[in-house]
Amino acid sequence: MKIAIQLTSKPIDISRLREEFRGRAGAVVEFDGVVRDAENGQTISALEYEAYSPMAENQMRHILETLGEKFPCLAAHVVHRIGVIPVGETAIYVGIVAKHRGEAFAMLSAFMDRLKQDVPIWKVRAISVKSEVGSLKFEGTKSAIKSSSSGWRLEEALAEISSRCRPLPGVRTPLAEALDRVLREPVIAADDLPATDKSTRDGYAILEHDSSATFQVIDTIHAADWKPRQLKTGEAVRIATGGSLPGDGLRVVMQEHVEREGDRIRVVRRENALNIRKRGAEVRAGQTVVAAGNGLTAGALAMLATVGCTQPLVSPRLRIAHFTTGDEIVSPDQKPAPGQIRDSNSILMRALLRSFPCELTQVHLREDFEQAKVEIGDRRSEIGGVDVVLISGGASVGEKDFTRPLLEWLDFEIVFNRVNIRPGAPLIFGWADDGRRVAFGLPGNPLSHFVCYQLFVTTALRRLTGAAVRGFLRGRLASKLEDASNPRETLWPARAELDEAGWSLTPLPWSSSGDVNCLVAANALLRVPASAQNLDAGIAVEFIPTDRT
Amino acid sequence: MHILFFAQLKDVARCDRTELPLAGPVEANALWELLLEKFPGLAGHRASARLARNGEYADAKTIFADTDEVALIPPVSGG
Repeated sequence: MKIAIQLTSKPIDISRLREEFRGRAGAVVEFDGVVRDAENGQTISALEYEAYSPMAENQMRHILETLGEKFPCLAAHVVHRIGVIPVGETAIYVGIVAKHRGEAFAMLSAFMDRLKQDVPIWKVRAISVKSEVGSLKFEGTKSAIKSSSSGWRLEEALAEISSRCRPLPGVRTPLAEALDRVLREPVIAADDLPATDKSTRDGYAILEHDSSATFQVIDTIHAADWKPRQLKTGEAVRIATGGSLPGDGLRVVMQEHVEREGDRIRVVRRENALNIRKRGAEVRAGQTVVAAGNGLTAGALAMLATVGCTQPLVSPRLRIAHFTTGDEIVSPDQKPAPGQIRDSNSILMRALLRSFPCELTQVHLREDFEQAKVEIGDRRSEIGGVDVVLISGGASVGEKDFTRPLLEWLDFEIVFNRVNIRPGAPLIFGWADDGRRVAFGLPGNPLSHFVCYQLFVTTALRRLTGAAVRGFLRGRLASKLEDASNPRETLWPARAELDEAGWSLTPLPWSSSGDVNCLVAANALLRVPASAQNLDAGIAVEFIPTDRT
Repeated sequence: MHILFFAQLKDVARCDRTELPLAGPVEANALWELLLEKFPGLAGHRASARLARNGEYADAKTIFADTDEVALIPPVSGG
């Protein structure tokens, strides 16, 4: 009988194991032991297993060999996971191949019985914490396209994008590549931090209530040592700051408070402080140290490293294709002829997307649908297969406009093509593959482009990565806003500053959706309601910050 | 002799491993006496815990030497 046995701390890939058994003759019997959501009547989120690894493997092999004499089978494969295993994931997989089903069932059943008696593997702890994974589930809607001559309201459009986009499957990624990715499962500390009681002083560990005047120094504990022992009255252990206490019920006397002579010390001053940082003072075993849905900052990565999570499940690097269009566009290093302008949207989009780890492809297209199809040509499936397609320009209703037919040619279904805001009204949103691919046609003017990215594109990107979608923040207007009146809601470029009273927003002057000047200083977009006349200084306003998504 | 503790016995012994010097070969009973001397808290677990010598379960007649790795195996709960 062919036997394969494995203990692993990684998730067990059942489908891959199953694949190995394909094509063998006879009976394949498999058992997939999954962690239940209850242990001893308590709701739990994970179990922690521990094994005496070499012996556990030998025992399993020994059991299979012994049973093989009674139930002749062709092959057996056992994989047992150890460490923290979340509810719903496989703790043990057993696959048996035999000529006939009888011996395969008998072998599997007898093996599991023996495993539970003799194989040195233990459930050492049930971990009960609220799981954040559930928040990733989101039921999308498939409502028919709403039509309105003035376009969708801002909230409607944002809600529609949120409900259409689905989080892409997470990937296990080394810490060095995980910066700014979104964590897709809670990371749980398997051990207390610190793992032992630690001294906070250079000094001497003695029994907490030992009132001896002098002590015999019987050992030295450095920061990396682990030397458990029972101290007796009159005994002391030299201990360094950060050193692990040798047992419970101790205190550390600072070295400044003793006089040492040879291997004896005399305590010259007593204080109440124990000078001990207790086991688990920072993090308790079972505690979530970083919740799902969090973007991984430098600090969060340091926490993951501390608890030994070296391959977190995170959002994948997004694949994004960005097309700029417009026959009037020339490269920034060229001098535009009359009627031409330099391309600012390529660098604007590249810079904005820095907040999202992604693979960005940028292509300039002639504003002609037939010619664009030729230019994309062979790369159609490659480009159509990315997670996000962004098209700058060509979204206004005009003869030359071609974003909509181009997106449809790339197999996107158009959900809406106009939002009732300014700047940025002619925004197209399309989706495909049940929300795993999305597309935006962005108005080509730089300010419109910026506004549509901050409001709509980031909402889609956050949903695809599994991050929580941001709402508007509240602040107050720093100076009066006059002549703001417009039939459409306006997203007004502004400068947000944080002071003692909260966020204060100064509106920046702008004249048209082509304004680039105001973007130099803008770090926020301020909501100005439709038909608002003058807004007085000091009134409450809503805004989104734009300098970091 | 290397001694390894697992699962709840780690908490009882307050460590996961220790060194126990042996003057000469001993049987399981004598080994238990030495262990209890050093870790009195193990007394309540003697009936349920099994000894393993170099990765194999030991029995009452097993002889333990100073060079052995001995594991104390509390009741298992894998699968």
